Amino acid sequence: MNNLFQYVPGNSLIHRMNPVTKIFLTIIICVAAFVTDRLLFLVGLLAVDLLIGIVAGVANRTWNIFRGLLKIAVFLFLLQVLLTRKGTPVFWIITDQGLLTAGKVVLRLVVVCMPLALVLAVTRITDLTNAMVQVLHVPYQYAFTLSTAIRFIPQFLEEMSGIMEAQTARGVAFDKARGLKKFSMILPLCAPLLISSVRRTDQTAVAAEVRGFRLRTRESGYKKYPFTAVDLGAVLFSLALLAGAILL
Amino acid sequence: MIQIQDFSFTYKNGENPALQEISLTVPDGGFLGIIGPAGAGKTTLARAIAGIIPHHYPGDFYGSVTVNGLDTVDSKIVDLSRLVGMVFQDVESQIISPLVEDELLYGLENFGVPREEIPGRMEEALAKVGVSDLRERSIASLSGGQRQKVAIASIIALKPKILVLDEPTGELDPRSSRQIFSLLKELNEEQGITVILIEQKIMLLCEFARQLAVLSKGRIIRQGETRDVLSHADELQALGVNCPRVTTLSRMLSEKTRAEQPVCINLDEAENMVRRLIP
Repeated sequence: MNNLFQYVPGNSLIHRMNPVTKIFLTIIICVAAFVTDRLLFLVGLLAVDLLIGIVAGVANRTWNIFRGLLKIAVFLFLLQVLLTRKGTPVFWIITDQGLLTAGKVVLRLVVVCMPLALVLAVTRITDLTNAMVQVLHVPYQYAFTLSTAIRFIPQFLEEMSGIMEAQTARGVAFDKARGLKKFSMILPLCAPLLISSVRRTDQTAVAAEVRGFRLRTRESGYKKYPFTAVDLGAVLFSLALLAGAILL
Repeated sequence: MIQIQDFSFTYKNGENPALQEISLTVPDGGFLGIIGPAGAGKTTLARAIAGIIPHHYPGDFYGSVTVNGLDTVDSKIVDLSRLVGMVFQDVESQIISPLVEDELLYGLENFGVPREEIPGRMEEALAKVGVSDLRERSIASLSGGQRQKVAIASIIALKPKILVLDEPTGELDPRSSRQIFSLLKELNEEQGITVILIEQKIMLLCEFARQLAVLSKGRIIRQGETRDVLSHADELQALGVNCPRVTTLSRMLSEKTRAEQPVCINLDEAENMVRRLIP
């Protein structure tokens, strides 16, 4: 979980792409997934997701994200299948219509979530925010909020496991509990986590302020983010995807 | 020059004043060490010099704090931060970026350092702290000590006139601590940067700082040249501030020999003293 959101260094085609192009491609994949109504097209989009992961040289990460999503997908699939009443029954209370809708819902979920997680794997957060500020003219304050939120995820997890270790040392049997029981044991820990997080966030705000947070403008970034041939290719590719979703 | 006059501060919602009637002057190019037990107000003093108090932490502010002629109450925190670089006690919260390189870039970009100067400054700062090899790494993959060094490098790269460091070697091993102290000494002597250093490692502090200020319960108990302050070892001990062992040794020898021995503040001096007494 900890490293699902972390950047994987690399120099692949996808890594070198302009961060804005990556966001564009991600959005187009999401839109395409909702526009299309064909199961086969969704499977195709999933293949595109996986292919992007492989081209970027982060096949392992892609697989981990996929596996993580699969757990949620199975749950959603069962729920959808059992609740859909339309169509002809295939087996027990399961209908053909139910299977088809459930399949589409689940595929959409996976297809939409994968590129969102992959963008973080192949883009440095700072590049993402800087490009958003420089190219898309997003106000720096908003971009900073986003990047800080993502940057804090591993720190929260670190802190959470720290609190849990401290509790385990005092006899709380986290290691023996499972499922709902474990969840109810973890819940009370949210208060100390929240308090320490708020305190830490406040400190980080000071740290940013004394290093010129308020002086930062759109031109401040050291790195520039020009569009190259790779970006053009990616944009054409995503437009083709969108056209396919609408026409097919 | 930093001039603090009759400065008292109580945090908003705080019951007792964190600092009371502090008067302190640090000349340009000075090297001041601040020691004192936990809760003495060391961090509050550091925040006041950096202007974080009263701009970020509101409260009752009496007296005046002036940094290079700028009154911290009237000046903007941005103008103060061009002068004063501060390394926080909690490194985790000081680091803003997810990658080492970006952490160094952050301040340089914001303060508008010319593009062509940036790579050189980054390399220099990383090399000085001894973490050039960590440049491409993510912060999450670093140890506590490595993070501390990166935090220090990110401030040094900004080349402030005044450096305020709040226990910057808390997570470092003895060798790295000495390395950081030597670096501060170098910056202080070669570039004339004023250093204000809060530190618990008393031995190192006494060896490197030229001036010492001892804080206890929000007040300055004693301040002056390091050697003069250390000559009041009994007083410090009563406050819960340990003295370097060499100082304790020179004091014990003064008692045993029934003659006033000079106060030793480093190993060489102690060695000379012992050699003199035991021919």
